[in-house]
Amino acid sequence: MSIRTLALASCCFVALAAPGFADTTVTILHVNENKAAVKIWDQSAADYNAAHKGVKVEFKYLENEAFKAKLPTMLQSEASRPSAFYSWGGGVMEAQAKAGFLKNIKGEVADTVNTLSPTAVAAFTVDGKLYGLPFDTDAVPIFFNKALFAKAGLKPEEMRTCDGFLAGVKKLKGAGVTPIVVGAGEKWPMHFWYSYFVMRIGGAQALADAKAGKDGGFNNPTFVDAGKRLRELAALQPFQPGYASTSHAQSAAIFGDGKAAMDLMGSWLLGMQGPNASDGKGQPESNIGVMPFPTLPGGKGEIGDTLGGVHAFLVTPTASPETVDFLKFFSQEKYAKEAAEVGAYIPVVNGTAGYIKDPLVKQIAEMLAKTKYHQNFFDQDLGPSVGRVINDVSVEVAASRMTPQAAAAAIQEAEEQK
Amino acid sequence: MRATTALVILLPPALLLFTLFVTLPIAQASWYSLFNWNGLGPVDRFIGLKNYKWVFENAVFQRAVFNNLLVIVVSLAVQLPLALGVALLVAGGAWGSVVFRMIFFLPYVLADIAAGLIWRFMFDGEYGLVGAVTQALGTKPVYLLASDPWAFSAILAVVIWKYFGFHMMLYVAGLQGVDKSLLEAAEIDGANAWQKFRHVTLPMLGPMIRLSIFFAVVGSLQLFDFVAALTRGGPFDTTHTMVSFLYYFGITRMRVGFGSAVGDVLFVVCVAFAWGYRRWVMRDD
Amino acid sequence: MTEAVGVFEEVGRPRLPVAAALRLAALVVLATIVLYPLLATVLDGFKSLGELHDNPLGLPRQWDWSNYWAILGGGAYWRVLGNSLAIALATVFLTLVVGAMAAFAFAHIKFFGDRYLYAYLQLGLLFPSTAAILPVFIKVRDLGLLDSYWGVILPQVAFALSMAVLLLRNAFKQIPSELFDAALIDGCGYFRFFRHVTLPLSGPILSTVAVIGFVNSWNGYLLPLVVLDSESRYPWTLGLMAYQGQYSTSWQLVLAFITLTILPAILMFLIAQRYIVEGLTAGAVKG
Repeated sequence: MSIRTLALASCCFVALAAPGFADTTVTILHVNENKAAVKIWDQSAADYNAAHKGVKVEFKYLENEAFKAKLPTMLQSEASRPSAFYSWGGGVMEAQAKAGFLKNIKGEVADTVNTLSPTAVAAFTVDGKLYGLPFDTDAVPIFFNKALFAKAGLKPEEMRTCDGFLAGVKKLKGAGVTPIVVGAGEKWPMHFWYSYFVMRIGGAQALADAKAGKDGGFNNPTFVDAGKRLRELAALQPFQPGYASTSHAQSAAIFGDGKAAMDLMGSWLLGMQGPNASDGKGQPESNIGVMPFPTLPGGKGEIGDTLGGVHAFLVTPTASPETVDFLKFFSQEKYAKEAAEVGAYIPVVNGTAGYIKDPLVKQIAEMLAKTKYHQNFFDQDLGPSVGRVINDVSVEVAASRMTPQAAAAAIQEAEEQK
Repeated sequence: MRATTALVILLPPALLLFTLFVTLPIAQASWYSLFNWNGLGPVDRFIGLKNYKWVFENAVFQRAVFNNLLVIVVSLAVQLPLALGVALLVAGGAWGSVVFRMIFFLPYVLADIAAGLIWRFMFDGEYGLVGAVTQALGTKPVYLLASDPWAFSAILAVVIWKYFGFHMMLYVAGLQGVDKSLLEAAEIDGANAWQKFRHVTLPMLGPMIRLSIFFAVVGSLQLFDFVAALTRGGPFDTTHTMVSFLYYFGITRMRVGFGSAVGDVLFVVCVAFAWGYRRWVMRDD
Repeated sequence: MTEAVGVFEEVGRPRLPVAAALRLAALVVLATIVLYPLLATVLDGFKSLGELHDNPLGLPRQWDWSNYWAILGGGAYWRVLGNSLAIALATVFLTLVVGAMAAFAFAHIKFFGDRYLYAYLQLGLLFPSTAAILPVFIKVRDLGLLDSYWGVILPQVAFALSMAVLLLRNAFKQIPSELFDAALIDGCGYFRFFRHVTLPLSGPILSTVAVIGFVNSWNGYLLPLVVLDSESRYPWTLGLMAYQGQYSTSWQLVLAFITLTILPAILMFLIAQRYIVEGLTAGAVKG
């Protein structure tokens, strides 16, 4: 092949790949794998596009790990910056705001805001500036397999205290059942356990105090004790074999295949365990139960305290005005109602939670409605670098590779180094 | 056309590209490594050599260095002798030599990341070859990639599988240069097969062996794709290499100063080895 | 090409068929170990997930083509291959052009500081691009090339230059300088000499550089991983990992995807074996 042909060929290829210019495109980046939810979102985009000629709203999916790793760099260059993106709020959002990647949309959405749950809106307001419109909320209960519980002769009521919980785990093991499935290969599922122990021991103020640096920051008895409790649980060897390299999707598959009794996971598990299971169907809803994380003796946390997130689409500074317009369109009761009815997620539009039909999702929504303390996921709340460390140490403590004391100290050190 | 005009046209593109993307970034890495910087905003939090202190104190980094050394040792002790042995069997015209050579070279042509994923499947406790073996034996599934130290041994196995064919080809080319008359002379002098190998063939293969070692070491220091495909550094961050540590703890966590320090350390190690090796070991080649 | 001297040439024709049989046995065992993973990948793409679990080692009981058809029919597969091709071709083209220009200058023109400049360009041989990946990423970002093909192509070319210039300069130097001087006297300019003498004589070395450059670019993972964000620009290596991330619990799909994406490399290898082997090893030896 002559050099001339080579040159022509490569120029053609590269030129063909250049983006075309058509309508105003609004790109919204997200990580949601729940097909039912994505269907509603795509529908809302299609409806908006039909009603607004010359605008193309597009939802784009990016896998969780890739999303977390890539977003910072995507936000930096104008070419790859999305118009809006999925966010868990917390310290990560604050870091993004501080770096100037978010747009304050408070002035433009005042009327829409009134239709949304105030706590949800507050979660995305920093220093009086609102950076996005929240659309759903979720909680992390313990999902359990009713049939496997019955096999071990276990009743969920027995598991409401820590001692009862540990006894229950032993019973399950005795019956030849894997008590807990955890996708520790991705680390963050394990940090749910650690987070809940912190919440149950230290109560509602624990994390806030630690962030403020009170009482040694994170290097205090609450975090150390939480580590000890995690170690105590892990010492019973309750996890599935090979848990250290199980991915989140695989853990959903294991639960869906009925190979483990319990999964401490967010409400999105309901949409994942079916498609990922070997037979593609997973556990029928009638066989899945929902129960709260147990309480600890002498702990300040209450059984009603929940771990979970509120999610919004945050807007970037160079986004077109149609972006905010679409988000307002998206926040209509119509789509929230559909999400609730289908059980895709728990919407935050006022009054729509009542439309939830799915019994399990309803149970979780009720937990949320009753809770006095809803804590955002620790690894999101604490910001990117400290969040990663808390994921690291959760896995290490559970595997007895790190002492609870060293873990607490490591989190504090990361906080100071950031 | 005068020489100067030609020079002005011929040299700048290469020099520009090279400086812009190779030398300048390396110099800048040394600069960034002195700051606590997350890649966004101005570079203003000077912390001197603290990043290096954090790097060397980091347990995962220490394990990563150990892993890199392990790869080098296993390459030199297992992979290269295997390649040499096979080369001896297929270098000549004996039956099927050419076909076998091609088969053994094939893995080298594949991308590391693809090879890694294929072996991730092989090592899977439920579905892969390992799963098949445990099923056949009737034992419980074994999750090699989830246990320390088996996980890194798995990575080592993949390294050997993928690269021994390349070294084999180098030795085959080297054996080409062995003068047959020397071997005949040795045989006349009463040397047996082993003596001929040790005193004629091996010395003549010297330059090729030294080159092969060079590639093995440099390649070992670069290991990343296998880690990304097989374990992502797990379980418990015990299978990292220096490059994967740089990626997972520096780049994805946006600790640019810290990551630059890691890159600098890796750069110094590579340059020191390459320069020293060429100067002293490959001096006469 | 003289055949290499294998052990059987050294020991002479094996007197005992045992030796020949042992050799064959060893080679067959090794070949099985080498080929089995590849075969398993191809065959298991034809199974359903359930069958993968129940029948891991055997041939598929039912040849389920749907996995393969789904991937071939979807746009993603062709898009990632196209991206890889575009990036690799551009990388090779630029490397050859820029490298040959510099190599020609170093080979034929003596100028002040030429040894130092050449040694400077050779610095790239001392360390791999992976060591510099973080600052290269920052540089690409600062130049506004993030998430673009050029953000991958240009660094690849830059890092390939050291080896390319080395190989090309040594090859160009083979052309006798008397020929060059005579041409100059006759009024033939540098570029005409390059086009009509150097290039035609340098076929083998150009293809060596091209093969090395193409294979390295085609198989590259870390650089595009760090530079590219949009899935539409992913080369096949990133596309493969993205697919695996999305369908991680369905090994049969992932295996089918792997098979289809390594197929081009295997086909290229089968068709141009000699070419590729010589390119990759000769490059290593002369470098």
